[in-house]
Amino acid sequence: MARTPLLSTRVLLVCAALGVATGLLGGVAGAITPLVLIGAPWAYGLVLGSHVLPGIIAQQVFRLPLVALTTHVLAALVASAVNPAWIWRFVGTALLFGAIQEGVAALTRYRSWGAWRFFTAALVIGVLVAAVVFAAADLGKLAVWAQIAYLVIALAGPILWTAAGLALGERLRRAGVARGVRTG
Amino acid sequence: MTVDPSAAGSPGFLAHLSPLAKLAAPLPAMIVLVVARDLVTPLTFLALAYLLLLVGRRMSWRVAALLFVGLPIGAAIMGLALGLWVDAALVDDTPAVLRVGAWTLHAGAVEVGLATGARLAAILALGLIAGLTTTGPDLVRASVQQLRVPYRIGYAALAAIRFVPRFAYELELIRQAHRVRGAHGGRGPFAAVARGAGYVVPLLAGAIRHAERVALAMDARAFGAHPDRTERYLLPWRRRDTVFVLAFWAVSAATLAALFPWGL
Amino acid sequence: MPDDPAPLLHLRGVAITHEGADAAAPASVSFDVRPGEVVLLLGPSGSGKSTLALASNGLIPQAVPARLEGTVTVRGLSTRETPVATLARHVGMVFQDPDAQLVTGSVFDEVAFGPENLQMPVAEVLARTEQALRRVGLWDRRAENPDRLSGGGKQRLAIACALAMRSELLVLDEPTANLDPAGIEDVYAALRDVAADGRSVLLVEHDLDAAAELTDRVVVLDADGRTIADGGVDEVLRDRADELDALGVWLPVSTMAALALRRAGWDLPRLPLTPPELHEALESADAPVPRAGDSLLGRVEERPEPRPDLHSAHPAVEVSGLTLRRGRRTVLHDVDLTIGAGEFVAVVGANGAGKTTLVQAIAGVLAPPHGTVRVDGADPATTALRDLSRRIGFVFQNPEHQFIAHTVFDELAHGLRGRGLEDAEIRTRTTRMLARFGLEAKADVHPFLLSGGQKRRLSVGTALIAGAPVLALDEPTFGQDRARADELLQLLRDLNEAGTTVIVVTHDMQLVAEYAERTVVVHDGRIRADAATRDVFADEALLREAGLRRPALQRALRGVTRHPQLAGITALRDLAGGRG
Ligand SMILES: Nc1ncnc2c1ncn2[C@@H]1O[C@H](COP(=O)(O)OP(=O)(O)OP(=O)(O)O)[C@@H](O)[C@H]1O
Ligand SMILES: Nc1ncnc2c1ncn2[C@@H]1O[C@H](COP(=O)(O)OP(=O)(O)OP(=O)(O)O)[C@@H](O)[C@H]1O
Ligand SMILES: [Mg+2]
Ligand SMILES: [Mg+2]
Repeated sequence: MARTPLLSTRVLLVCAALGVATGLLGGVAGAITPLVLIGAPWAYGLVLGSHVLPGIIAQQVFRLPLVALTTHVLAALVASAVNPAWIWRFVGTALLFGAIQEGVAALTRYRSWGAWRFFTAALVIGVLVAAVVFAAADLGKLAVWAQIAYLVIALAGPILWTAAGLALGERLRRAGVARGVRTG
Repeated sequence: MTVDPSAAGSPGFLAHLSPLAKLAAPLPAMIVLVVARDLVTPLTFLALAYLLLLVGRRMSWRVAALLFVGLPIGAAIMGLALGLWVDAALVDDTPAVLRVGAWTLHAGAVEVGLATGARLAAILALGLIAGLTTTGPDLVRASVQQLRVPYRIGYAALAAIRFVPRFAYELELIRQAHRVRGAHGGRGPFAAVARGAGYVVPLLAGAIRHAERVALAMDARAFGAHPDRTERYLLPWRRRDTVFVLAFWAVSAATLAALFPWGL
Repeated sequence: MPDDPAPLLHLRGVAITHEGADAAAPASVSFDVRPGEVVLLLGPSGSGKSTLALASNGLIPQAVPARLEGTVTVRGLSTRETPVATLARHVGMVFQDPDAQLVTGSVFDEVAFGPENLQMPVAEVLARTEQALRRVGLWDRRAENPDRLSGGGKQRLAIACALAMRSELLVLDEPTANLDPAGIEDVYAALRDVAADGRSVLLVEHDLDAAAELTDRVVVLDADGRTIADGGVDEVLRDRADELDALGVWLPVSTMAALALRRAGWDLPRLPLTPPELHEALESADAPVPRAGDSLLGRVEERPEPRPDLHSAHPAVEVSGLTLRRGRRTVLHDVDLTIGAGEFVAVVGANGAGKTTLVQAIAGVLAPPHGTVRVDGADPATTALRDLSRRIGFVFQNPEHQFIAHTVFDELAHGLRGRGLEDAEIRTRTTRMLARFGLEAKADVHPFLLSGGQKRRLSVGTALIAGAPVLALDEPTFGQDRARADELLQLLRDLNEAGTTVIVVTHDMQLVAEYAERTVVVHDGRIRADAATRDVFADEALLREAGLRRPALQRALRGVTRHPQLAGITALRDLAGGRG
């Protein structure tokens, strides 16, 4: 091939498809956010954690550099189309989560794809999210038990969703999806 | 942002601004709002956002309902509910509003809750300035033309937007098929989650196969042949975009300066 | 141009192995496409025709992971090294699935997409786009969303996209596989224009009735994907028809009819390819002296009449006053329909007529209003789905949508579990079903990894295993080649003869003529006709109004004045010696 683009059209569009599916989920997460904030603000980490999915599934399906970030950005775009008010939240989490997931993968030079690597990224994301949402929703004013519950759940959320994403990626692989592109 | 490109170009001056301008202008204010704690700052920005949306965009019933019914009521309920969760020890020096047995709702708690509700509403409303006046394809084009996002990514995004209605339709079909096959029957949230999980693999696998075919069709039409491609819809950054952003920033700065320290 | 000796597309000893496949398909292909030629590529399913199409512009091996051996050149450029984007100036592609080649949000943008990628100046892009859209008759619809075009319209749009690239060679892979008869005519009208312009065409197509008249040369692959024939239409289709028939390659219906008649003792020296030719051949031939037992009319009478004992107390399906809305549209208007036990009924109609909605309401996929539908005596509106699935089996158009388990075995067993059957019993029944559908070797494979034909058989199996007395299938031939469709329908006929009521939605008129005793024509959400298949196809006005066409065989046999006994025949199997 004369010119090898970093990501082939095929990989790009599969990222787009994954982005659409997870972006629609993100749109749902945006829609139920007010309900969660009303009913159980300390459980918000579970909702926000769902935003890790695009990168996890993309990396599990492809194991290539940049797929996580690309899928995150595309998912954010779709989620914003569904739920425009949260556009900055979607773009922000996409860039942040995408960068963390790419970063952790880059630290192992995109060679090691053990589950621990995904969970490390999830933990980093959990810590960051916990801090930001703590400020945004003024959770410091909550009762102490609620604050503790919130912190635990904020860390657990991304990890649970990462586990779900890994399981899903594994099922997709067994269904023979995107064969011939995966490396590693 | 609307999915259907044919809904583009709703009249009003906001529609004629670059999507990037509309996203960049409110950003500083939004960041401050995340940390602000009082009630006045968010309400001021809420008013500013509403003003722009009312003047700069033609009203439709849907938008009016969102702005004047959905958002205020949602924010109020959310604020009050958050008030219920506030640690009583922090606000027990304020007068009591409501007493139920041993439990007391203090005015301070209500105030904290409402302030949070107002902040979330203001952040949402500022986001809607771009959200309600930009189409997805325009945002993509602007990112490609002005932010130098590679056009290959941009076109993947355009394709992604076109996937949305198709996937919605496929999901409907898969749901019907699984229902008929009696997969994951039963009621309640757990059965619903199991059902949903059953749809995910066929939906994603179908989505990926579809995406691969579209990719072949794009490659077959010389997609990616050159570092650039002919662009027939130009979305240049005009002087009015600069003016809008600078003006918005100036107003934000002035407001924030006047209201400092935002209840911190 | 026609005297230019250099081939446009040149293949020598081409073998392609998909990543993960154990054998090459195609195994060894050699042929050329010269400027201005229309070449038809035939071969049994799985012989590698689609794979070759992808190799013709370098998508294999550059975009699809596969190993390519041998030589493929386009205008002397090797497809191995020349970037696909460069080859795209010479070779344009039209794929089978109309929806999977749309990239943009308007018809105009779609056609402009290719020239834009080539960095043409804007004025040139506009000029090429306009020209291409006018050529296929879509200029007036340029501002519309491509999703709103019919299937035939989308394929014409895909042709326009290739034309705008000014490619000299157009490669089409089953461009009409899922279209209604009117859509197929549209596409071929556009193709005729393209060929008249002097462009070359490489056409992969199962439906030879439309393709044969357009074709200059025919290339045939055998089951392994080796070139076994390459020559003019007369030379290949006429002179080697018997050989091709044995190979399982489909021939024009007129040719198959003539082969069947020959077997019945007719003397037809020159094999016909088109209905007019068959007509002509029959007018100048003598009918054979009937031998006992295989007389033509005798065969017709032999058709099993619906057995009275199968008509039990209540009909299999009873629809009365069914009106159904989807979204804001009323899709079905006051439909009445009764289907007796043991019948084989076809539901036909143009795209969007409401066929799918009707059978889905019958099967309880869409909830019909109370009291409007009865299946085997039960009302789908009030019957639990699990019970309903014992009364009616429904097969969706796309089998992948309905697979819920992770192995083929579990997929079949699912219908039996949760019924209190013993494990051993489930195992025996499932194994029997696997054997019946030739899937024994695939029991532990993920359903998504089966081939298209195998997926379709599995989806039918899942509907059958519950032992439902009624079976409804929505376009069972979707994405299947004709040989597989034939196999599947033979199976349905066997079931039907054993007493199962079968309802089939389809666009394939020849298939309807071959298998269905009764045909229901849906038009604009109403039952436009409901009669014996023979009578439906005899009603010219009705067919035209409903956007349907007569089956090719009937077109050929109608008006054969010399042999009146042939005139009413619509099915190949009614010709003595025919298949089936
Ligand atoms: N992406 C793929 N990965 C692995 N094997 C494949 C792939 N695509 C096709 N094959 C296999 O290659 C062979 C040739 O397939 P191809 O689709 O070219 O056949 P075809 O002649 O077009 O058949 P049909 O008439 O059914 O369309 C088949 O055995 C098929 O299973
Ligand atoms: N979910 C839906 N919401 C709204 N309208 C729908 C829906 N599904 C189908 N329709 C419309 O109902 C009409 C009948 O659709 P249906 O799928 O029954 O047609 P069909 O006869 O099966 O067509 P085809 O041959 O294309 O499969 C169409 O005009 C279609 O656009
Ligand atoms: Mg094929
Ligand atoms: Mg249909």
